[in-house]
Amino acid sequence: MKRFDKKRLGKAGIYLLLVIVLIISLFPIIYPLLSSFRTDNELFENMAPFNWHTIVPIEWTWENYIAIFKEYQFGSYLKNTLIMIALIIPGTIVICSLAAFAFSFYDFKMKKQLFALFLLTFMIPGEAIALPLYSLVNSMGLINTYAGLVLPALANGLVLFLFVQFFSDTPKALLESVEIDGGGWWTSFSRIVLPLSKPILITAGLMVFVNQWNDYLWPLLAARAQEVKVVTVAVANFKEQNVIHWGYIYAASTVSALIPIFIFLPFQKYFVQGITSGGVKG
Amino acid sequence: MKQSSAKMKKRALPYCLLLPALAFVLVFKIYPLIYCFIQGFHYKGSWSLETFRVLFSNKGFWHSLWVTIKMNLVMTPLQIVLSFLMALLVNQAVRGIGAFRSLYYLPVTISMPVAAICWSLMLSVNNGLANSFIGSWFGIAPQGFFTDANQALWCIVALSTWKGCGYWMMFYLAGLKGIDTSVYEAAKIDGANALQTLWDITIPLVKKTTLFVMVADTSINILLFAPTQLITSGGPSDSTNVLMYEAYKQAFKYGSYEKGAATTCVLVVLILIIVFFQFKLTNQED
Repeated sequence: MKRFDKKRLGKAGIYLLLVIVLIISLFPIIYPLLSSFRTDNELFENMAPFNWHTIVPIEWTWENYIAIFKEYQFGSYLKNTLIMIALIIPGTIVICSLAAFAFSFYDFKMKKQLFALFLLTFMIPGEAIALPLYSLVNSMGLINTYAGLVLPALANGLVLFLFVQFFSDTPKALLESVEIDGGGWWTSFSRIVLPLSKPILITAGLMVFVNQWNDYLWPLLAARAQEVKVVTVAVANFKEQNVIHWGYIYAASTVSALIPIFIFLPFQKYFVQGITSGGVKG
Repeated sequence: MKQSSAKMKKRALPYCLLLPALAFVLVFKIYPLIYCFIQGFHYKGSWSLETFRVLFSNKGFWHSLWVTIKMNLVMTPLQIVLSFLMALLVNQAVRGIGAFRSLYYLPVTISMPVAAICWSLMLSVNNGLANSFIGSWFGIAPQGFFTDANQALWCIVALSTWKGCGYWMMFYLAGLKGIDTSVYEAAKIDGANALQTLWDITIPLVKKTTLFVMVADTSINILLFAPTQLITSGGPSDSTNVLMYEAYKQAFKYGSYEKGAATTCVLVVLILIIVFFQFKLTNQED
């Protein structure tokens, strides 16, 4: 009996901790979400003393959302971001899966060295080379173009390693049987390897989506013009311009936060699997 | 003859498959890296160490380097400990744990600039939520947070830790799941208590994960840029002027690409040193 109580107490303790961490994790997301539905006046009037309505609006309004889309063309930034991502995801997947296919199923000279080269680029985060990359892309005349946003993102070390990791579980014998039947590499790749890779395709696609959606430094340098400006830079500009209402900032932040969350949640199982199996094994 | 050309074709195939990826890596990753070093070793258009001499004789540079290192010395261990504890928590077999796991990951999916801006509003001196809360409930006078030279850096640490832990938690969770449960049963039979098991079994068994997280986290944190650029602009009194922001300022505010490149070189070398240690430590393990 005593033991049973102890077990129950332990469980209650676990739930208590889980809820505390949950509040810390979610409050800085939920508060901006709630505040995006109120006017600045209402927000400031209820700020102090601290009470229930400091957090939860009394009168809900869509005003801020209407304003950011009507006055600040937030829709066009969303469109720009989605176009950029729609170009990057298939490009990255094609380029990286082909390279991973070569690394996983063929032996060739310099294989180790070439793999190490990819490893190195994967270990140096993109932010580190953003400034020299700007000089390069600028000299190519690609600043403020989609090409300038997309091309540097295509060779993605992380996605390459996800594929290599995943392909390493595919039996080589399957490919040999294709060759015996007279099929070329394209048959093996398109008929055997790719159909088996569905979970990793989803993971890679999601990962690229979330990373690109949240990327800031590169688009800040390479895409300042209105026609190609992406959401993160637009939100940042709201703050830089200093004139904006808090409600607008919260509304813009909410839109920019909710889109990846809604895309992430249905697929989170794949995403987690991908991170944990592809990155490193413990 | 025909056979040998087929053989050649077969030999060339893997290189052809690699070619697109390799081309993009060489042009957009390796070349900028090399170019950055070339530019850093130039002064007014010719080869020289002068840019580095100017950089290293500047007190501001050493201050930025110190801010970057100080921030990392606190932030990286903090994130590692917290994400490990979070992983232990979500590794518990209780009902609904999957939902908690996903919800803990949500801060990761939010972009740093957006998180930074929302935090700066919530922690703002006037009309900020945090000041209202501590004032009304605890009678504490309004704090400066991002505008106080003693607090700004630690607010950035708090923000990045909040945003980062869910990510590293996932790696630890994978590490924990990889541990054979029979080890725990054996420990239980030997009469080890929970703390002993944690210290003597769990922590050593996730050592590889810890190494990976340590290095990956450090190299990300060294380049942390958005909160400084968006909230504090390096201030107050340069207390948050991290090296990455300094490089950005040199290149894009003062138009001195050479200085920006030299600063970037220092950052890249810092990261390479960390990567080198990771390889060394990981190889030692095997």
